[in-house]
Amino acid sequence: MSSDTTAAHGHAEEVSVWPLVISAGILFALPFAFALQFVYHNGLMAALSLGLGVPMIVLGIVGWTREAIGTAGPAEGLTPPAMGWFILAEALIFLSFFATYWVLRLSSPAWPPEGTPEMPILLPAIMTVVLVSSSFTIHWAEERAEKGDRNGFLKWLLISMGLGVAFLAMSATEWSHLIHEGFVPGSNVYSTSFFSITGFHGAHVVVGLGIFVAMLIPALRGTLSDGLIRSGSMYWHFVDIIWLFVVSQVYYW
Amino acid sequence: MATLREWIFTTDHKKVGILYLIGSIAAFGVAGIMALLMRAELSAPGPTLTDNPTDYNVWLYFHGAAMILGFQIPALTGFLANFLVPLQIGAKDVAFPRLNALSVWLFYAGIILALMTFIIPDPPDVMWTGYPPYSEISVGNTAFYSFTVLLLGFASILGGVNFLTTITFMRAPGLGWNKLNIFTWSTFAAFILQLIFVPVLGTAVTMIMFDKYLGTHFFTPDQGGDVLIYQNLFWFYSHPAVYVILLPFIGIVFDIVATFARNRVFNYKMVVYGGMGGIVLLAGEVWIHHLYVTGMPDWLRVGQMVTTLLISVPVGLLFIGLVGTLYKGSIELKTPMLYAVSVIFLMLIGGLTGIPLAMTALDIHVSDSYFIVGHFHYVMAVSGTFAIFGGVYYLYPKMTGRMYNETIGKISFWISFVGVNIIFFPMMMAGLAGMPRRYWDYSQFEGLEGYHQIMSVGAALIGIGFFLALINWIQALFTGEKAPDNPWGSRSLEWTTTSPPGHGNWPEIPKIAPEWHPYGYGEDAPDPVGGGSLSPAAARERER
Repeated sequence: MSSDTTAAHGHAEEVSVWPLVISAGILFALPFAFALQFVYHNGLMAALSLGLGVPMIVLGIVGWTREAIGTAGPAEGLTPPAMGWFILAEALIFLSFFATYWVLRLSSPAWPPEGTPEMPILLPAIMTVVLVSSSFTIHWAEERAEKGDRNGFLKWLLISMGLGVAFLAMSATEWSHLIHEGFVPGSNVYSTSFFSITGFHGAHVVVGLGIFVAMLIPALRGTLSDGLIRSGSMYWHFVDIIWLFVVSQVYYW
Repeated sequence: MATLREWIFTTDHKKVGILYLIGSIAAFGVAGIMALLMRAELSAPGPTLTDNPTDYNVWLYFHGAAMILGFQIPALTGFLANFLVPLQIGAKDVAFPRLNALSVWLFYAGIILALMTFIIPDPPDVMWTGYPPYSEISVGNTAFYSFTVLLLGFASILGGVNFLTTITFMRAPGLGWNKLNIFTWSTFAAFILQLIFVPVLGTAVTMIMFDKYLGTHFFTPDQGGDVLIYQNLFWFYSHPAVYVILLPFIGIVFDIVATFARNRVFNYKMVVYGGMGGIVLLAGEVWIHHLYVTGMPDWLRVGQMVTTLLISVPVGLLFIGLVGTLYKGSIELKTPMLYAVSVIFLMLIGGLTGIPLAMTALDIHVSDSYFIVGHFHYVMAVSGTFAIFGGVYYLYPKMTGRMYNETIGKISFWISFVGVNIIFFPMMMAGLAGMPRRYWDYSQFEGLEGYHQIMSVGAALIGIGFFLALINWIQALFTGEKAPDNPWGSRSLEWTTTSPPGHGNWPEIPKIAPEWHPYGYGEDAPDPVGGGSLSPAAARERER
């Protein structure tokens, strides 16, 4: 169903349904659901829209990945440089958030602003250790993959995924703790920056874990896709480096 | 003809490019109708078409947002880049065809969202800038504005990743960097800018949404937020966005001018490294000139004045390249060439009015007046649109395999050319006479009615001109003569394949002869494809 070829102009025409499915899914899951919930206050329709969009995105990504495994074209080796360009764009997102945070903080009459509880000190340190070690483990996984050692690769990949999940769990614990203390995104300019920056970083960890899953599935079936592994590992290192900025600027400064 | 299914699910760069063209022309049409509505409203003082100023704001919002984000950027970096770049570098397709298809459908999602402005309750009314605090307190649906920007921006970023990789790694064997067409270079430069700057705009509009709907305080002054941060983030993208538009449109103008003047590009390396490289380097250092009147220290104003003036140097190099290419060329004024030459003229007016605007002393007085509106329509809106139209005419035979009607093409060009000058030159004069921008009613100002009436006539002319062009394109699809493979006699690689090119563009990837150059016009100019492996098109040409 996914990919097939048709004779036209005497050449094979390549088609794929998944890009369209993913785009439509994004349209329902993000703008429609958000606007229905927050602009038009229609929770039921928002839930329906989200319920329609998210499965479309998931289905699209699964179909796309399956299709891509079968047909590794010339692009396979070009994934890492493309990931490099993508990381440049991602870095600018974080730079914008940090720049905003710096301006808000430096122009604020008092810091921390009123309504800020005592911020945890130990937990971010543990989170840093966890995330930095996951950068090492994914590097080792990549090394194993280059040597063609599938079992070694799987072992280190799973450990990295475990570390990533542990990081997210700690992040979630911390968020819920702060929210219980009344520190919510709307509390003041610090909470605004804090929740946006850690939230966006957390979202990137989730995406990184998604890429790990995309690396895991073909590996379980016996194929190691080199370009994907290298670019996935690049992305994870990037997420890790961004965390160092998050922890130094938002937590400990 | 390919089936509908092959169009919708296609991953072929040429079909993706044409899908971009259809979507962006649709956006152009609706945004153009908004402009006509505004001009009709302004044709007389006081309420004419509508009694509700919010209607005017919604038209203004849609006109700006759709023209820039829905028409110009997708038409240049979507349609032209997709259709032309793989053909110009001798590649079978882009590096990531499926990602390319995702880009185009995200672009369509953005267009759909933008068009929903007309059917949803409380449509967005925040101009294309979405400045807080208004965008955060307006009853309009600012979320749709933000998401339109985010979807189109994400499509652009994916396109950028794809094209930078394609141009770097997928050039045909023997096609060195110094043999790239100017258009391919300009796409490369424009996408570097997109990758650096689009994420910043995306972040800014996300913050607006967070503020308005999730209660954060980025831009709420009473809670310690700062609206000026938004203006800085917004213009940090949106000034370079001008170059994202300028670079590809000047790139396609270079290709058209070289083809129809039968001449090499004058000072190729100066144009590429000095002109385009200079713009890329300076693009990110000038945005603060959009904030001259919103309050900043004087030393910053002076610094920004210097960088803004400095950017006229690389733009000037591009002009020298264009005029030098025309000089002693054997010029043939076909429709694409008319558009290309008119771009040189229109951009000169726009560029020369931009230099005084860079001066703080003058800018403070004409800020937010029609002078600014006239200036940026000349330098970006009209020049870019004319270059896109020239590009569509230029590539029409290659895209469709048919020729458009030359007479209608020329008539429609002259009508729109006269129209744009009738509207935008008086617009600058009205600005100097005191007409502020964004007003839906000017009855409180004396003596501006004449300007507005002339402008409204010009708008009607542009409408007719562009409508004729559209009719020409649609009609030629069915009744146009069959196009030869290289109707313009260009030396460039994209004309060596069939019209329209089949899937994969060439039977096999062309090998480039060492002495060939895309602008190598002259007596003994070699064929692009050397080593005895002539493309079928070139072989057929030779047999004749």
